Amino acid sequence: MLIKCPHCGTRPVEEYTFLGDATPQRPASSDPATMDQWFDYVYLRDNPKGRFHEFAHHAGGCRSWLVVTRDTQTHEVLSVVTARDFARNRTGAGA
Amino acid sequence: MTSFRLSRGGLIDRASTLGFSFDGKQYRGHAGDTLASALLANGVQLMGRSFKYHRPRGVISAGGAEPNALVELREGGRREANTRATVVELYDGLTARSQNRWPSLDFDVGAINSLGSSVFVAGFYYKTFMWPKSFWEKVYEPIIRRAAGLGTASREADPDKYERAYAHCELLVIGSGPTGLMAALTAARAGERVILADEGSRHGGSLLFEREEIDGRDGLEWADGVTAELASMPNVTLMPRTTVFGWYDGNIFGAVERVNDHVAVPPPYEPRQRYWRFIAKRAVLAAGAEERPIAFGGNDVPGVMLASAMRTYANRYAVVPGKAVVVFTNNDSGYRTARDMMAHGVRVEAIVDSRPASSADTGGARVLDGRTIADVKGRKNVVAVTLADGERIDCDTVAMTGGWSPIVNLLCHRGAKPHWDESIAAFLPPEDPACAFVAGGSAAGKMLLSECLADGAARGAPDGAARMVPSCRDEAFAITPFWWVKESKGKAFVDFQNDATADDLLLAAREGYGHIEHAKRYTTTGMATDQ
Repeated sequence: MLIKCPHCGTRPVEEYTFLGDATPQRPASSDPATMDQWFDYVYLRDNPKGRFHEFAHHAGGCRSWLVVTRDTQTHEVLSVVTARDFARNRTGAGA
Repeated sequence: MTSFRLSRGGLIDRASTLGFSFDGKQYRGHAGDTLASALLANGVQLMGRSFKYHRPRGVISAGGAEPNALVELREGGRREANTRATVVELYDGLTARSQNRWPSLDFDVGAINSLGSSVFVAGFYYKTFMWPKSFWEKVYEPIIRRAAGLGTASREADPDKYERAYAHCELLVIGSGPTGLMAALTAARAGERVILADEGSRHGGSLLFEREEIDGRDGLEWADGVTAELASMPNVTLMPRTTVFGWYDGNIFGAVERVNDHVAVPPPYEPRQRYWRFIAKRAVLAAGAEERPIAFGGNDVPGVMLASAMRTYANRYAVVPGKAVVVFTNNDSGYRTARDMMAHGVRVEAIVDSRPASSADTGGARVLDGRTIADVKGRKNVVAVTLADGERIDCDTVAMTGGWSPIVNLLCHRGAKPHWDESIAAFLPPEDPACAFVAGGSAAGKMLLSECLADGAARGAPDGAARMVPSCRDEAFAITPFWWVKESKGKAFVDFQNDATADDLLLAAREGYGHIEHAKRYTTTGMATDQ
């Protein structure tokens, strides 16, 4: 599989280390009342067939954190953005 | 010079004599031989024992799909089990041993399994070794493992080095027969970076063993000309002895290059093998097609081989495995073997054609239309064949052909399915015009040389237009499906390597395992390394 890093260009998948699902968001509050949200954030993951966002660390290249969007069925890489841009777009969209 | 070696012709160097040993006995061959062709030239037909029944076996093919002639190669830490004698290039001092026999290949005690073969039917293990449960691991499995099996691995460390490497290209061509050479040439002339990989030691594919005429020249001469032109171009990498084995996401291909498998010991600082990853913008599968056997009684007796294999041994290695041949065919390509064998001075006793009539060029051989071979007489070599209607024909070798199957495997690695084509009675590779990996030539079901050359040129061209296609003489092809001789009394093998017969498949169907996936599991048909 080939992944196009926004900084380094197209590189083989071996250069990347994957952390997992990039969709869950850390709850803003540490109030014990938000325990359910924390439980979801720490433990619960979807296993979607189709579009999937995942964190990737370009360890063999620029060492930046990225979010790779990929189709889990066809393995097609749909987009690669920096984790920072991904987070900004998400808050910008009001999520 | 043995009587099995022709005095002229072939791609062997008669000036260089190489000594080698098989089961401790010394033989001589020539540079350009494979282990199988050198053994046949020395009159050795018995090269192995079968997996389950320990039946005597000889070579059936002349290429990578060999199920029978599996040998242990080399000694000590370099010992390699289950190598196919048909693809092992001969070198001076080569040592090989047969497998799965005791005490010797010629006299194998395990052959007693053949007598009890009525109990060793499909599903035998499942039906017999059921209880007590604890016996399976401690008693049954070790016994079965010893009785059935392949070679043994070396217990010493491998002293050789292995490497990995990457290569990038605009076009990867897999296979260098007429199609592959045309594809590579067209792309290379258009200025693309091309990698041409072929598992053989020399480029040319079928032109190495078929007598063809391209551009008014001998086919092999044409292939050598194209190979020389490709070798002179800086944008082309020729990779002989390289098998492409996998297709992965992003049009990445895995391949193994046998850098120094054709010598006893790799030169200093060189690896034995190299693992490649090719990253290709486009790729063409030009792996060709594979000939199929027909299921009839004793179709595994040493001396029975595929028709194309017999042609290969005669035309490429100048070895004729026998003096009197019977050809059994359901298509036109069997006639080609008959004509080639007669050209080499071998008597063709008959062409047995399962079709009621055919228009193929017989070359003057006796043709028995609408007849079939029911059984082969002989155990360690062929003595005669009996036809389904009872007629006996004395002979010492049988060439069989059940048609051709395009080698579609690589194109199915990412989930696409092949589809059946009635006109050539074979599965064709999946077709997706948007895909950057396509099949060409006989791997795509093209059965004529002119079609292969044109298809290769079109698949190789960046714009898909076939240009500069050379002219050639075509060999007609027609087939009427015929797979199994019902009248056979002996074992009719469908899967030679796993000893699965037509009767096993019938039993599987009778016992409710008729679905192809069930039948495969139940009988182990198609689950061996030659699948």
